Amino acid sequence: MILQKRLMICASAVGLMAGTAMPASAAPWVRGYVVGQYEYAFRYGGRADYARGAEIEPGVDCPHGASTHFANDANTKIAVQRQKFRSQQEIDWIAKPPGLDDVRAPVLTRFHIWNRAVAYRGYKRGIETYVNPWAAEDPGQPQVTSRIGDGFNLDGKVKPADFVSPDGEKGIDNNLYRAWGCDAPWRGNGNATLDLRANDKMQDGLYTMVVRVSGNKDPMNDDEATLEIGYSPDKLVKDARGGISVDYSYRILHTSQYTKLKAKIKNGVVETEQVEHLHSPRIAWFYDQTGDTNFSKGKVRLNMSPDGLAATGLLAGYRDWRELYTENTFAQDGGQQGIREHEDHVSLYFALRRNADGMYNPKTGKNDGISSVYRIKLASAYVVDPENLAMEVPKLALDEERMQAFLAIKANTIKGAETRVPQPVPPGTTEAAVGSFEHDIADLPSKDFFIKTLERPHYANEDKDGIPPWMRRRRGTVAPPPAAPPAAQPAKPQNQVSNEKPTEVAAAETK
Amino acid sequence: MKRIIGITFGAAAFCALAGSSFAADPPGAQASATPAQPAPAADAPMVPPAKPGVFTATKKGATGYHLVVAGHKFTSRDDIEKYLAWRAADLTMADKGTWFTFTQARTKADTVPPPKRDPAAPRHSFQMANFQPVWRYKTKGAADWKSWSPYAGTAFFADGVKAEDITDFEASADIVVRKGVMDDADPLGYEAGAVSDLLINQVSPPV
Repeated sequence: MILQKRLMICASAVGLMAGTAMPASAAPWVRGYVVGQYEYAFRYGGRADYARGAEIEPGVDCPHGASTHFANDANTKIAVQRQKFRSQQEIDWIAKPPGLDDVRAPVLTRFHIWNRAVAYRGYKRGIETYVNPWAAEDPGQPQVTSRIGDGFNLDGKVKPADFVSPDGEKGIDNNLYRAWGCDAPWRGNGNATLDLRANDKMQDGLYTMVVRVSGNKDPMNDDEATLEIGYSPDKLVKDARGGISVDYSYRILHTSQYTKLKAKIKNGVVETEQVEHLHSPRIAWFYDQTGDTNFSKGKVRLNMSPDGLAATGLLAGYRDWRELYTENTFAQDGGQQGIREHEDHVSLYFALRRNADGMYNPKTGKNDGISSVYRIKLASAYVVDPENLAMEVPKLALDEERMQAFLAIKANTIKGAETRVPQPVPPGTTEAAVGSFEHDIADLPSKDFFIKTLERPHYANEDKDGIPPWMRRRRGTVAPPPAAPPAAQPAKPQNQVSNEKPTEVAAAETK
Repeated sequence: MKRIIGITFGAAAFCALAGSSFAADPPGAQASATPAQPAPAADAPMVPPAKPGVFTATKKGATGYHLVVAGHKFTSRDDIEKYLAWRAADLTMADKGTWFTFTQARTKADTVPPPKRDPAAPRHSFQMANFQPVWRYKTKGAADWKSWSPYAGTAFFADGVKAEDITDFEASADIVVRKGVMDDADPLGYEAGAVSDLLINQVSPPV
């Protein structure tokens, strides 16, 4: 790393960036930030130390607590007995697989059996219902009943079901909170499991998000300011205690995931204009989920501390709800995440669908978008332009295979929902625990029943055990194909940029 | 989709005013397309048209309907009730509604408790288990119709009866077409699009 705290600022930038040192009169100023925490703006209303019966942390947001899908054999039994094609033996054995005590990994074996079973909950056998959730019964989802919610009045209307902001503003549109706010992995007071996971991966270099605010008056009061938000190819720098280090330098790419907005600042609160498309990095915890949020009718609010060292904020707009569904479902596979996190993506699909409230599609007569608000916490940074303004978001060459599989399953999911023709699971995924199931069930006395009864997708070039090629590669039983070099793209992760040595940066970008 | 097209607004208004009923699928009605609908793909799912007299929808109040599916060849309760639910969803969308409520035809003698509304409970786009039509039927040699209600606490009339011994049957439901955001805490609320998606590949009209 060529990190040089504070020394990385080129001389010309010093004058621009040292807003706090400038007089509060008309003068150019810049404040830069790197996002250290990024999550859905869900307001937690429970108590972490309280449970009631089988309810987990009931509260004003979710009166019966967080979701408990697949939390135990009784819940899983409820999920699989809705399919009329299953025999009673099948239902009973899925819920409690016989012979589990005799295997080397009972928990994992049951996990894979459940994963495979709950991936097929269609109106008939053979329909994979994470790709085709519309072909399943709606299992139901606990939803937020509180009236308090973070966000903006995106549509300019005050509707009866809208939220009221914590400071009393009416008409707040945040239907993603209503739909998913009780979903176990997203509900918590900063400790929701997928919030933690996503933030950990972001902080560890999966992607970096930066914000730059600039103007010509006072950084705390400027009615003609500019806010830029975008992706940085530079890995986020943590301090010795795991926090976000302040005042490192990060490049902001001006290509994809970048938006420049007009803004007004009053007493340190930055409020941007509402733009038709707000591009920024999206929440992700795997490379295959990374990409552009592409909020429709998006805007940003930032609350800057007077010393410029920190800020908090909200990003909001309407997101295509089918994209949200696929991003949450297929980072790994629907059953795996659902069982582990006690969420049911089929329920989440229907919750998104019925709460969709924007991006009206005149061709279908339906709303393609759901109002969504993301919360950010930021630390001071030097946000600089890259040498090459045309620089694109780097690619992780070794994860591109998974990215392509993700894009394929996303396309099939959307096609199925639009055409109502069940779509297959494309190659490259782990849906229905393909590969893992076959591996871990080997010593289960009742394995033949499950292998024969439970459905799974099949692919070309499976081995004699039914393991597809990509799973053999991931398990290391066959060599991976040579990775295709990303065309004219820099590889991740990248080091911090040093403005003292611009030639080295330029060289790194072309490697 | 074809049946969405099948019932035009003009026909709906006419039937409402006349207090008459839709007589299944009007001949040639497929030609009158709803303007906002995209052209169906070649492999788009299709429900076969019903023969005259199989499906009737009688206007009941400003936005309500009494729906009846009738036939002579009994297949299964599930088949007939799903077809009726699909017609309810289809009619709702044809009326530019987004959801409908199912009104249970209860009497004082009923013993099965109604589903309770619980705003704190999980929300649904639909709960097919709560879509419970009432039935009329005739068996071989019988002159009179008999009734069966799912709320009476008795076994389904066709259980243990040979299908060929049921010569006539009708399943009926009352619905109210609604617009706007659905009340997903209503255990008898059904999002029309979601119900249609689920059922379109499963149903066909009885004969």
